[in-house]
Amino acid sequence: MNSTNYDSCPECDLLLRSAHPKIGEKAHCPRCGFLLSRPRKQSVERTFALSIAGFILFFPANLLPMVGITILGNANTGILMSGVIALFNEGMVAVAIVVFLASILFPLVHISLSLLISGHLYFNRPNRYLVGWMRWMHHLDEWVMLEVYMLGIIVACVKLMAIAPLKFGWGLYAFIALIIITTMLTSGLDTELFWQRIEQLGKENNLAH
Amino acid sequence: MHTKANALAQGFIRCHDCGCLVKTVDHPSACPRCDSQLHPRRPHSLQRTTAFLFSSFFLYIPANIFPIMTVNQFGAGDPHTIAGGIIELIDSGMIPIGLLVLVASILVPSSKLIGITLLLLCAHFRWQINARRWTVMYRVIAFVGRWSMLDIFMISILVDLVNSGSVQIIAGPAATAFAAVVILTMFAAENFDPRLLWDNQQNL
Repeated sequence: MNSTNYDSCPECDLLLRSAHPKIGEKAHCPRCGFLLSRPRKQSVERTFALSIAGFILFFPANLLPMVGITILGNANTGILMSGVIALFNEGMVAVAIVVFLASILFPLVHISLSLLISGHLYFNRPNRYLVGWMRWMHHLDEWVMLEVYMLGIIVACVKLMAIAPLKFGWGLYAFIALIIITTMLTSGLDTELFWQRIEQLGKENNLAH
Repeated sequence: MHTKANALAQGFIRCHDCGCLVKTVDHPSACPRCDSQLHPRRPHSLQRTTAFLFSSFFLYIPANIFPIMTVNQFGAGDPHTIAGGIIELIDSGMIPIGLLVLVASILVPSSKLIGITLLLLCAHFRWQINARRWTVMYRVIAFVGRWSMLDIFMISILVDLVNSGSVQIIAGPAATAFAAVVILTMFAAENFDPRLLWDNQQNL
């Protein structure tokens, strides 16, 4: 029913004949210029590998100290969570929740979902929750703000360097690696391919029963 | 007023979540592939965008006039507004970082507010415009929105690290308002449907 030979542009609704660009090619909407599809090499395998790496890196990035500072003899180190707690203790509950969601919870959920989805696709295991996970991941995408947080760290460090000496810890390096991995993950994920594979798996599963 | 080339005019609805095309003649309510609700356009797009936009306009005022953080040094408090923090960065010679913060926390939010207002007016009054250019504007607005959170993240780091007995940084009321502005404008951009711009064009 849905496997028509047509596509439509999500931003201008132009009806198009389905384009099947090769790997390395891009398909743009001729009317509004929207990037319609950009197939990636071994998208499932790469997503699976990057998700594993990202999931592992998430823990050192969150648990090891990122930046240390010594002000007038008082040493202090910060991790992602301690910033949230500091805001919470000052009564800025709403801001603390936003920072927690955008820099800790959503990235964790996003990477776990991509691990689950790509893992199921890689091993050809059907699962009735795949569709729901895929939709959740799609909606979370915009709210994972690790790279914005990184800029925040840079600006904060520039401001603090004027006051006191800083020390960068392993947590920061793990965090930078995590950002590189999540960026590669989102840019290498071929959404259309994933949806097709999920649909195919679901059909095979129905036939088997 | 749908132009011929539009998928909707040809009897197709595109699923918001998975992007597959569904024929309208079957009167489907849910997408056959991902089971999400099907809507020809984002539901109540203009009303929702307007609501989010108005809320963020009002919160934008306290976000800019109240201090976003206060530096307590040996008992003396020194409150900073968003603009004050940037001026201080530039004064102390950190011009590139100052410009970065200027773009992220003043230029981006204000141009987003103006841009979404223009998009709404255009869609509502069916202005005949260069729809391609306006769609690009929408795309830019939707992309840059999240980068304004930079200021909020920076404050959470500063508040955490600068917390010794004699020197302390405390977040101010503008932080909550500013975070709300960023999130509400993101919701506004997400709820705006750029296809409405194309639906209104008569000369396509």
